[in-house]
Amino acid sequence: MIEAVISILIGALTAMVPLVLTSVGATVSERAGVVNIGYEGIILMSAFFGAIFAEITGNPWIGLIGGAFVGMLLGMLHGFITVYLKGDHVIPGIGVNLLALGVVAFGITAYWGTAGQHQVPTNVRVAPIINTPYGSLSPMVLITIAIAILTHWVLFRTPLGLRIRAVGENPEAADALGINVERYRFLATVYGAMLAGLGGAFMSVDWLGTVTKQLSAGRGFIALANMVFSGWNPLRALLGGFIFGFFDNLSVWVRTNPEIQRIVPWQFVATLPYLVTLIIVAGIIGKVRPPKADGKPYKRE
Amino acid sequence: MRVDIKGFTKPLVESLVAIVIGILVGAIILAFSGYSPAEAYIALFNGALGSKYGLAMTLSSATPIILTALTFGIGARTGLFNIGGEGTVYFGAIMAIILTNLWGNVLMGLFGGILAGMAWMAIPAILKVLRGVNEVVSTIMLNWMAYFIALYIVLQKIPNPEDPNKTLAVPVSARFPIIMKGTELSWAFAISVIAALITYYILWHTELGYELRVSGYNERAARYGGINPKKAIIWSFLLGGIMSGLAGATEVMGRPPSYAISQGMANIYGYGFDGIGVSLVGRNHPLGIIFSGIFFGMLRAGATSMQIEAGVPLEMVKVVQGVIVVTIAIPGLLDLLKKVVRR
Amino acid sequence: MEEVPIIEMKGIVKVYPDGTKALKGVDFSVKKGEIHGLLGENGAGKTTLMKILSGMLHPTGGKIFVNGKEVRFKSPADALANGIGMVHQHFTLVDVFDGLHNIILGMEGHGLFSKIDVEKAKEKLQKLMDELNFQVPLDVPVEKLPVGVQQRIEILKTLYRDVDVLILDEPTAVLTPIEVKELFEVLRKLKSQGKTIIFISHKLREVMEITDRVTVLRKGELIGTVNTRETTPKELAKMMVGREVVLKIEKPPKEAGKPVLEVKDLWVKGDRGEDAVKGLTFEVRAGEIFGIAGVEGNGQTELIEAISGLRKVEKGKVILNGKDITGRPPRELYDLGMAHIPEDRIHMGLVIEMSVAENSILGLHWRKAFRGPLGLIRWDKVKEHAAKLVRDFEVSVPSIEAPAKSLSGGNQQKLIVAREVSKEPEFIIASQPTRGVDVASTEYIRNYLIKLRNENKAVLLVSADLDEVLQLSDRMAIIYEGKFVGIVKPEEVTEEQIGLMMGGIKNES
Repeated sequence: MIEAVISILIGALTAMVPLVLTSVGATVSERAGVVNIGYEGIILMSAFFGAIFAEITGNPWIGLIGGAFVGMLLGMLHGFITVYLKGDHVIPGIGVNLLALGVVAFGITAYWGTAGQHQVPTNVRVAPIINTPYGSLSPMVLITIAIAILTHWVLFRTPLGLRIRAVGENPEAADALGINVERYRFLATVYGAMLAGLGGAFMSVDWLGTVTKQLSAGRGFIALANMVFSGWNPLRALLGGFIFGFFDNLSVWVRTNPEIQRIVPWQFVATLPYLVTLIIVAGIIGKVRPPKADGKPYKRE
Repeated sequence: MRVDIKGFTKPLVESLVAIVIGILVGAIILAFSGYSPAEAYIALFNGALGSKYGLAMTLSSATPIILTALTFGIGARTGLFNIGGEGTVYFGAIMAIILTNLWGNVLMGLFGGILAGMAWMAIPAILKVLRGVNEVVSTIMLNWMAYFIALYIVLQKIPNPEDPNKTLAVPVSARFPIIMKGTELSWAFAISVIAALITYYILWHTELGYELRVSGYNERAARYGGINPKKAIIWSFLLGGIMSGLAGATEVMGRPPSYAISQGMANIYGYGFDGIGVSLVGRNHPLGIIFSGIFFGMLRAGATSMQIEAGVPLEMVKVVQGVIVVTIAIPGLLDLLKKVVRR
Repeated sequence: MEEVPIIEMKGIVKVYPDGTKALKGVDFSVKKGEIHGLLGENGAGKTTLMKILSGMLHPTGGKIFVNGKEVRFKSPADALANGIGMVHQHFTLVDVFDGLHNIILGMEGHGLFSKIDVEKAKEKLQKLMDELNFQVPLDVPVEKLPVGVQQRIEILKTLYRDVDVLILDEPTAVLTPIEVKELFEVLRKLKSQGKTIIFISHKLREVMEITDRVTVLRKGELIGTVNTRETTPKELAKMMVGREVVLKIEKPPKEAGKPVLEVKDLWVKGDRGEDAVKGLTFEVRAGEIFGIAGVEGNGQTELIEAISGLRKVEKGKVILNGKDITGRPPRELYDLGMAHIPEDRIHMGLVIEMSVAENSILGLHWRKAFRGPLGLIRWDKVKEHAAKLVRDFEVSVPSIEAPAKSLSGGNQQKLIVAREVSKEPEFIIASQPTRGVDVASTEYIRNYLIKLRNENKAVLLVSADLDEVLQLSDRMAIIYEGKFVGIVKPEEVTEEQIGLMMGGIKNES
């Protein structure tokens, strides 16, 4: 029993990586006032391209960087539409999510010639740094924790963070003081998408070692829920990500446990991460306050 | 009639431009992936439009996505991003199968779809009204829950004793008659068009529709104008639920040959997501949705020929759809294009 | 020898993207070390001109010189670099930041990624405050501070940037008379330190009191610049409005009838959960205009929202025609004879994306006159209705199918008044009915309110425009921090007494 608990907790540390990275990224983006619901698609496409980069170069780290780079490009697209063209913040995200469904489904068949699923070879997957009898830990877990802490520090202690928060709370105020609202918003958007891309690549070249068209499985949205749950705070998003990752991993663990399956069908257990997300989101609304200008385009005239 | 022809021109042109860009970007991706874009598109359009059979397939493919597009469109016109069509389709289909197997007629099937759709969409409605839960997050979570719950029901509760690959089939007496022999086109298509027309009438010609639209534009003005925005939210979800529920029901009642849900739900999967694109290209207007639904139906219908004749994976059309929707999201698309052209 | 002016603007033209000509070639010049008033009505172009000077807006045409050198501002940063800073009418503060971080924002020092040196900034600010002889708390989120303090933080913000020219846009609009006095002391102090101040206002008295010279704008054009000591309020008023008499309002005497609206010990909470209305009791009678005057933000909005069913009543009663309507929804209230001209026409009174016709039935769309079978709306009847409103109230619209956002502010407001009157109410709330509205429409709307009163309707008028309340009301209350300081008859009090009451000081005499 204790072994099972330890193994679930270690698994949760792994499962939290894409959630935390995306939540932290989304936090920075929304703190600057840009909503992006396209993380789901960014995770998916970065997982796909990250695997390709890793396989071409034979280096999983280049896969991770490549995934982050794809995230950056998609973030630039989103930033261009929302920040510079003052477009709606939600619709481009819907578009990216739909695009990802197509690109990845098409890409798996077109690139690898397999239908629906591709297994990433072990030699281009990130090697764990800590091995225990109950599971292993990827260096990405530590990197993720470091990114969350560092982002938190930048956001709340440095001039850069002050300006990012200012353009998300009151862009007029920032503008009046000569802060380039568009530039900070754009950069924050790109940073957010980049972290989501890193999380996506982590899923394919590290954690799961596979690419499917359902790989992201709602994580982009769970990460947004976690961001709200954490009150747009990167450190709390780290903690929240662990909680969400726990349920994510728990459902996988239960699914493979025949004794529990006899009592509860696995399909019901599979709904657990989503159900927990719904319950948590329903429980916290009204207690948190989003950045005031979140999702609102800023036009000077 | 309050159809403003002039006001329609710009969005229409924008949608057409987005479609052209989608097809062009698709061609580039095809070329990069080592396929011949010309060959692929010729096979696609030929397959979808080149024959009566193809046309029939186009319309039958349009049927469910017009309905799921109405779900998103009603939401968008009333200030909601209702992404929950996908999950609702599953339950619409399941309920239609169950009810038609109890009472074998078309009306019971449609009723089943409507009932299931309203019941499932009541969840995000209640979450939004009582707890203020953002509907994007709630409907996405519910889609995933719906997927697994429906999978369970399909596998465990309504399996087909004669065919392990699918569920119980809708009995012959409750199926929509086929319009053109040898094709999949049934009168279910008429249901989707009628649903779009009714949606138009509700939104623009009734008191309820007026209240829904006012709430969608401006919640404060709605409250001031004696409208209860919470009521509007609930109605928006329920109407949307009806549409996607019907999409599931008509799919199992009007799509030969199986008239059932396949084991992995592949034959009812993805309509909700496609519907979002259909609605956006149709400018979230019920009448626009009919036409964009037929266009997307054409892509779906032609995809198979493209795969067979040009060897291009049929998911390619989803790439094109995705590019179209991203392009639609660019504001002032036409002005931007004009600037680029002038340079 | 003529001294080179610190600011010189020549032939400034501004055309907004929607085609509005806000400035039609304005010349404006300010001498170093003076307090220069910029006077004009709403819409005269004062704020636009100053937003151009502070780099917020780009001029369509014209030139700007600072100390005789031509400059071109791409952004407020450029203006600040040239020593020009502006305090906007709507403060540009980040609510959740404390005063210190609001002030140092954009001038944090060191690199973007280094830690902010809070202590050093605090020292510098303390020195600045000591020089000016006032103190503000630097470590409290500004949303928790009173407006007067917020304004000082805004002033500090510009001074922290070592500006030579300080622009203040309607700085007294949100202040009580006492706070105004304190502000003027600060301005005089700044002047003595050699700073130049541009003071935007439409209040004659203040301009006469504080400025050295005054420039008057009207409808985007320069009327003239005069030395304050050599002019009179009367002359300035004439320059500002273009004719002797401001508004023609005729109000025959009238006996008020029975009470139509009764408010008893009403308590209402504000958005942040604070008590905004604290036990108000009053009545509005048939055939009278009951005015509520006071500085904005003293509970007026919450009071109106509570009466009109838009905000929860914590305690107390609202009675309409003898019927208890406390907590009833707006729809029921409209059916019982209430109408409401809301203070925020863009976000509340209209759905600006929808057509004039669609807006013409908001709040009466359920009435039988517009209803066909099966819940259908009879658009032919709606159009007739809209056409009648537009005709009767002289609303200038491109067509009744045009979206409400294509109307000018004055016409939008007239459309709302027309619609509310078409509800055939017995009790009308008019909240800031002429704010931001052109003179002609203002005159029209004010006269219409008097007409309603003469037709024996009960009118509740809430306005931050003291003249409006004085001119229209039969009885008026002065509200301060959610309570009435007094209820008086306009003809029985002096402006000075009211000024004191607006600052919360009750006059025992």
